[in-house]
Amino acid sequence: MTGKERIRTVLEHHEADRIAVDFGTTPVTGIHCKVVEALRKHYGLDDHPVYVHEPGQMLGYIEDDLAEALGTDTAGCFSPKNSIGVWNKDWKKYRMPWGQEVMLPARMVDSFTEKDGGLYSYPEGDKSLPPSCHMPERCYFFDSIERQQGEIDDDNLNVEDNLQEYGEIDDETLSYWKTVTDRAAKTGRAVVAGFGGMALGDVARIISPAIREPRGIRSVAEWYMSTVCRPDYIKELFDRISTLAVKNLEKIYSVVGDNVDVVYVCGADFGTQTSQFMSVDTLNDLYVPYYKRMNDWIHQNTTWNTFKHCCGAIYPLMDSLINAGFDIINPVQIAAKDMDPQRLKDEFGDRVTFWGGGVDTQKTLPFGTPAQVRDEVLKLCEIFSKDGGFVYNTVHNIQANVPVENVVALMDTLKEIRS
Amino acid sequence: MDKLYDAIFKGMAPLAKTAVLEALDNDKSPQDIIDESMIPAMEAIGQEFEAGNVFVPNLLLSARAMKSALEILKPLMMAGLTTTLGTVVIGTVKGDLHDIGKNLVASMLEGRGFKVINLGTDVSKERFIEAAKENNADIICLSALLTTTMDYMKEIVDAVRADGLDIKIMVGGAPLTQDFATSIGADGYSSNANEAVVVAKKLLS
Ligand code: B12
Repeated sequence: MTGKERIRTVLEHHEADRIAVDFGTTPVTGIHCKVVEALRKHYGLDDHPVYVHEPGQMLGYIEDDLAEALGTDTAGCFSPKNSIGVWNKDWKKYRMPWGQEVMLPARMVDSFTEKDGGLYSYPEGDKSLPPSCHMPERCYFFDSIERQQGEIDDDNLNVEDNLQEYGEIDDETLSYWKTVTDRAAKTGRAVVAGFGGMALGDVARIISPAIREPRGIRSVAEWYMSTVCRPDYIKELFDRISTLAVKNLEKIYSVVGDNVDVVYVCGADFGTQTSQFMSVDTLNDLYVPYYKRMNDWIHQNTTWNTFKHCCGAIYPLMDSLINAGFDIINPVQIAAKDMDPQRLKDEFGDRVTFWGGGVDTQKTLPFGTPAQVRDEVLKLCEIFSKDGGFVYNTVHNIQANVPVENVVALMDTLKEIRS
Repeated sequence: MDKLYDAIFKGMAPLAKTAVLEALDNDKSPQDIIDESMIPAMEAIGQEFEAGNVFVPNLLLSARAMKSALEILKPLMMAGLTTTLGTVVIGTVKGDLHDIGKNLVASMLEGRGFKVINLGTDVSKERFIEAAKENNADIICLSALLTTTMDYMKEIVDAVRADGLDIKIMVGGAPLTQDFATSIGADGYSSNANEAVVVAKKLLS
């Protein structure tokens, strides 16, 4: 089977010739650049600085040679611009505070300001604006700086303000999507694309460091509170976003067609470690109708599968997310409350594909032994892969501090299961 | 019918402000308002949260209402006239920006009678120690949500002990466990903001 066939088979809830695997095709199934470098070394691949395509989380680009070494069945198509809104091109070397040399867009590197042992960067690399990102000393990511403009004045709150980063897709971007999806399809792997413009209430986007002058609700806490105290505003916003998204999807589909297998829809987190950010009723009322609008369009007009990222203890919300039309749930945070793998598989396994959940990343992967990693990978693959409906990935991105022995143990175990 | 209790429980800041002003008009003392309305309201919403009946946004709204009421009372409370359960210095540790949980813990502590100094996020061990000394604090509260920042908690505990400060240290955050807290020598741990108050009270009793 090709990677594409394998992914398609498991998405249809049949077992493939072997377990399907993804590493690095979305901003939530990736690997920190520090670990990407260590893996390249381990597999004896060409020695050059890792390309960081998503500086917010410092995710390293998994080039074809590494994808092959890891046995991934997927090829990623990322947004042309990175998290601060700079085009991912004109790469330039930069030495990160932890000593690693990486490649970042020159426009970003040239605008860095160093202060107090930390690093600041600017929206679209424009230094005439206040900084929108900060990498503090000893931190492995570029944190977004909240730029909420004063207190919210409810009488003058205008939904246009929270729509400023959404718009009709332009021809340059359309032709970009055509080029990258064509190229990805040629690999024979399943094509995973993040077209953007479909996120509903993703706090990482609410405070997005790409926005030049943010207006509207732009603080994480304020957003969460708004889900309770400003439901009408949120519904109007989601109505507008989902309507525009469908319009853009029509255009995108007309150029990329069925080359795409999976589309990344939304990364809004509804779970904490032990609870949820909202009740089932709130999810059904505020979010589901608008997710449905986008997912239904996709299912009625394309062969794409819809991907929803949602961290935390989301067991009580699973039914609603499936009813909203999501084919895929990620990252399957098995260490969170009530996220028992067997129960998830038994209750939802025939209706949704678990993309993730392949090893706990809060304890086992960073702090366990290679033997513990192996045992857990074996156990979880057995549970999740039965009758398809499973694409292997860790619970969320592999973080910077993970010992490379543990990542190698993970990869070796996968190879063993798949051979 | 206690308007202030209701406004805080339901998370309505403007109503909480008018309710406090009304209570003051009726010659209630700030301390009585805190003891009879505010603390019980924060206790009640905290229990509802712990029981899973309300969610993070509700707790954030209640905290905001409580704070807006407290802001009115603070200038009226002359030193010595009000009692606090103790002074807490709280922050998210270096390299970590997750602050929703930490702020909820801070609000629950404040809303239930502690004096709270909130240092924000990305806080170094030096700043924790400096703030603890400046404010003569009884407890240092550390929050971390990342496996890459948990280890720094141990550095902070060690630095505080090395400095000879007589102070309790509480830790919390998504990836933490009681075992981890014990292993780094912290005095207290809790997995949620409501219970954090119980733990803090116990540490000082
Ligand atoms: C919201 C969120 C964010 C927001 C944070 C916004 C903000 N201002 O806080 C944003 C989008 C910015 C973000 C960024 C990142 N995040 Co984040 N985030 C979350 C998420 C979904 C929820 C956290 C939250 O707010 N919970 C709600 C509060 C109320 O709960 P809480 O914090 O646990 O606090 C409660 C208790 O723990 C306790 N408590 C907390 N502190 C304290 C302190 C004391 C003293 C006590 C007693 C108790 C206590 O009481 C609180 C109230 O009940 C979690 C998922 C999860 N499982 O937790 C991921 C999560 C924590 N994030 C994660 C990661 C990796 C990141 C990023 C690196 C990006 C990424 N995904 O790769 C960046 C890092 C930025 C940085 N430098 O810190 C991972 C961490 C994994 C790991 N191996 O460590 C998690 C677990 C997601 C996952 N599934 O893997 N994140």
